[in-house]
Order: sequence, then structure tokens, then C-alpha cells
Amino acid sequence: MVVRIRVRNAETGATVDMELELENTVEEIIEGVSAFWEKDPGAYVIRKGRRLLRGQQKVQELDIQANEELELIPDPEGGNR
Amino acid sequence: MGPIRPGERDEDRHDRTKLIPWVDMERVRSAKVLVVGAGALGNEVVKNLVLFGFRQVDVMDMDSVVRSNLSRCVLFREGDQRSGKGKASLVAERARELDPESLVKAMEGKVQSLEPTDMGRYDVILGCLDNVAARLHLNANSYHARVPYVDGGTSGFRGRVQAVVPPLTPCLQCGMNRSHFKVMERRFSCTGQDTVFYQPKMAAEITTTSVIAAVQVREAVKILSGRTAIAHVMHYDGLEGTSEVFTLDVDPGCPNHSVGRLS
Repeated sequence: MVVRIRVRNAETGATVDMELELENTVEEIIEGVSAFWEKDPGAYVIRKGRRLLRGQQKVQELDIQANEELELIPDPEGGNR
Repeated sequence: MGPIRPGERDEDRHDRTKLIPWVDMERVRSAKVLVVGAGALGNEVVKNLVLFGFRQVDVMDMDSVVRSNLSRCVLFREGDQRSGKGKASLVAERARELDPESLVKAMEGKVQSLEPTDMGRYDVILGCLDNVAARLHLNANSYHARVPYVDGGTSGFRGRVQAVVPPLTPCLQCGMNRSHFKVMERRFSCTGQDTVFYQPKMAAEITTTSVIAAVQVREAVKILSGRTAIAHVMHYDGLEGTSEVFTLDVDPGCPNHSVGRLS
């Protein structure tokens, strides 16, 4: 089964549609959209509404609806220098 | 109760803070706090802690000042980069100037030298770091010591704060994914003879640093005053002028929680 979702880039507002298998993971979504947008190497997280998704969660665990929008957010690493 | 005098309340440095009913100033004054990182976030965090009324603050860092720190570090001065003193020593020295009754102490060294027994001496720990490896060490050891840990991070006009209150909340590692570990791997390179830690220069500026440090200290005050901390991660976008708090689940595969279940 394939689920179609939309991912928004929090930094630019751009969106991209993705087709996911139920076995795909959140990490694979992050890597897929990061590569598509040629993001700088860095840490990112995905939000679904008010919840941050864990990397190893599979699509089938996410209670995700067709065409639902997720958002890719940079996870800032700096602060000491 | 004895007689009062005109203007008496203005003699109390913390009179206005004491007007906030839920703030437990006695707890604030008696709490022992560890701040790890005496750079941009560390400067702001220690400044806020001391002005809020915290007395016992240990600040740890292994670095010395470079001139590019001066745009974000309220406690550093022109010339500090030539003083030979470490960041932690300078922050402690200048913080004591802000409040001579404060007992801010410097610890020069690496976060990796801290163990759970060291963490257990503190009531709250604030992470002001700039790399995933150091964060994971501090997160794991504070979690095992059952000490609340408030982590801050910035990148340009973006920032995040996570409040970890063991054993009630998910920890930092619960929210990390392969992208974090890839970042960590890129920081370490092997020369064949040695492992070198590579720290890239990251975009940073004072306004976002101030916001994130303020939230970190506020969360520490809330935790110590018996209020519920943010659940669980606040992301701040300075360009949009927004902040949002996101919930996070405990990762059943997270080693910190697995150890907790076994013990």
C-alpha cells in the first residue's frame, strides 16, 4: 500500500509530495526530502502537528492520512562558540 | 513582624521576582546548578541565573576566548582573548561581579570527564553545548543520575530548548535520528594515527542566543519551583517570530530508558 503525503520545508516554505510504503521510516522521509532540497548536512526532525516523530517510526505507526502535511525542521546544534 | 521602613523593599535585590507567586526563591537560592559550556549560550545562561538569584552555580568549559566570541558573550571583554584565562574562569569571575553573593565556580575541562556521580551533586543541569557527542554524554549521565537537564541549541535565527525531567520525560536521545548521528560522525575524522574532532563554524548571533538562554533558565526555575516543564521540545524561529512546543515519545530503543527499566 502506498500513502501520499506532503512535506513542508520549514526554512523555505517549499513543499514536496512523497509516496511512501507503510514500511518506510521517518528517517527515510528526512533523507528523501533533504536530498531533494539539497539541504546542508545537518540534523533535522519531522513534525506531525504538535508531535515530533521518532526516526525509526514506520509510516504504518504514524496514523498518517492521505495528503497529510508533515514539516521538516532543522534541529540546531550550535550555541557554544 | 517588626516595623517596616519607607523604601525597605527596594533594598531587596530580588523583591520584584518575589512578587511572582509560584517562584520558589528559597529553592532557587539553595539549588546547585551545573552549566556546561561557557560560550554564547553559557554566558547568557549564567548571567540570567545570577540575576535571577541563583547562588551556587558551577560552569564548565575547556576552551579559551577568541575575539569572534565577543559579539555574543555579555561576560567577555575586549582583551580577554589575550588573558590566557579559560572561558569558564572568566564567566565565573564576571558573574560574581554581577552579584557578589553568588558562588559561581569555574571547572576547566571536558564534559566527557563528568560521570553520573558528578551529576548527582546538582539539582539541575543546563547544557550550552555545540555538538551532538557532548550533548549525548551530558544527557545520558544526567538521566542516569536522575537530575533534570535543560538543553539549548542555536543555529542562526533558529533555536531549540528541551527539558528532560527523569524519569518522567523522553530524553535528548529519544528525539535524535540518523541525521544527528551522521552529523556526529562528520565531526570525527580518523587520520590513521589519531581521531581528530572537527568543529565547523556555525552561524550564530546574540538575539537568538538570548532568547534560547532565557527559556533554558526559565525552565530551570519552573522545575525547581515544582511547576511542569515544557513538554517536551520548544523550537524557535526568530525570522518568523514564532515558537512552538512539540511533544515527543520515549523511544523504546533508547539505551537511557532501557537501563532505567532494568534497574
